[in-house]
Amino acid sequence: MTFPKVDELVRLFSVSVSERARALASRYGFRDYMVERYYMMFGDWGVVEELLRSFDRGLNKVVRCNTLRVPDCSYLVSRLGRLGFTLRGVSWCGYAFEVLSEGFVSLGATHEFLAGMYYVHRGLATLLPPIILSPKPSDRVLDLAAGVGGKTTHLSQIMGGSGVVVAVDIDRFKVRALRSNLERLGVCNVVVVRMDGRLVPEVFGEGFFSKVLLDAPCTGEGIIQVDRSRRFKTDVVDLARASQLQYELLLTALRSVCSGGYVLYSTCSIAPEEDEFVVDSVLNDLDGVEVVDIPKIIDFHPGITEFGRLRFSDELRRCVRTYPHVHGMEGFFICLLRKL
Amino acid sequence: MPLKEALKCFSCFEVSGLCSRVLSELRRVFGVDVTELLSPYSELLLCSGLFTEVYLVSNDLLGVVNVLRRSGRVPYCVGIYVGRFRGRKPYLIPSTMLANTVFSRLGRYVSTVVVSDEGLKPFLYGRDVLKASVTKVYPKLRRKDIAFVVGSDGYVYGVGISLVDDSTINDLGRNDVVVKNVFDVGWYLRGGTEPREKKFKT
Repeated sequence: MTFPKVDELVRLFSVSVSERARALASRYGFRDYMVERYYMMFGDWGVVEELLRSFDRGLNKVVRCNTLRVPDCSYLVSRLGRLGFTLRGVSWCGYAFEVLSEGFVSLGATHEFLAGMYYVHRGLATLLPPIILSPKPSDRVLDLAAGVGGKTTHLSQIMGGSGVVVAVDIDRFKVRALRSNLERLGVCNVVVVRMDGRLVPEVFGEGFFSKVLLDAPCTGEGIIQVDRSRRFKTDVVDLARASQLQYELLLTALRSVCSGGYVLYSTCSIAPEEDEFVVDSVLNDLDGVEVVDIPKIIDFHPGITEFGRLRFSDELRRCVRTYPHVHGMEGFFICLLRKL
Repeated sequence: MPLKEALKCFSCFEVSGLCSRVLSELRRVFGVDVTELLSPYSELLLCSGLFTEVYLVSNDLLGVVNVLRRSGRVPYCVGIYVGRFRGRKPYLIPSTMLANTVFSRLGRYVSTVVVSDEGLKPFLYGRDVLKASVTKVYPKLRRKDIAFVVGSDGYVYGVGISLVDDSTINDLGRNDVVVKNVFDVGWYLRGGTEPREKKFKT
């Protein structure tokens, strides 16, 4: 296995920036290398400008009704309605609601929130990975980079509170918030472990889990709407570092899953260096892993197979992408892998 | 500030005496065998560091915890958080997670005061429950013992120490304290990522 080192990745990922990209970057407040790469992805400056504009539009928050606590979500909708919130049901997720207008109090401060009746997602796309992984109550699931637990608690909800979810994260503050969220939402089937996710196979043994969700730490190039600083705070070195960590974590995920089991790899970044490049490298380095078709929950864009000098396996067309200017949600990359 | 002790977790096979005390305290507070009621979350797990925290886990979860322990690690938290076990009365401070789960399975409340919406708001800011905001009482309230605080919607919003018995609550004036706030779910907003040692005020 020969994944490039950071300095090699920096060379591989570096692009020469055109005048057009420089001008757009300056107009929209982005780093110019980012804009040049968006052109490499779409091949159309008009689309690039649409994308840059869409990052200004902001996102509707999403309320996920906690069916572990609230058997009938219309009860929650009516309670939030009385507090002045305007909600719209999400067509592909019966228990999720887009917040069209805020109420008299913040979504994170209502009695309903404190009683664990819902979880607030920053946008629609974060709902997709657990739905696509679709764990069953009999599964033993690993959430390899659990963060504050948005996806952990969603996985548990899909499993009806049965089975086992092991949520791993190394960040002390995130793990504390994760614990709070589990208690608040009344999620019972989770084991939280604070550790470096890359050590999971050493601790639990290879093939311990039937499903793994890896929503990998990333540069966040898909959530610029919610964090404007991401327009300029990362450079190619950050991209290379992220890519290397993602590769190591994806290898870990595949070692941790049993034969016939599934690994869902996702990032909130539209950067191919963190997405197709990582999956392609793992497919090149490991035998017995295939990319699986993802159900057409929405009109996804397929994974890309060419990006500048980089060429990826045709299999990666089975991965899916969402874009803010096309889907009205965060930029997201999702790939479902099966270990044979 | 005391030095942080290494966290260790034990199942009831290893600390049967402590487990018996926890179980009898749970039975005393809720009036039922909680391990039976919450099946398959029937196994106690006790994790001791600066505090002794108690969890109820299923056999599947316990299996995962045992794998972890073999590599010298412990879970940060697991299963149903029962609460904190202490060396002084009340020995167990039950969590709202446990109370919500028990009451929803049980179909009734015990040692509970229901508070009005107006009374719930200050309680969620850490204030005590006053007689004026109590709309209903479910027995048994015992002075200096655990009482649960439930909103008009039936959800458990906190845990406190009752300052009255069932029989004496009607002797109180409107502004007298019925339940002293120990933990309310407003903590998730005020300090949800703070260390848990800051959590209890008793």
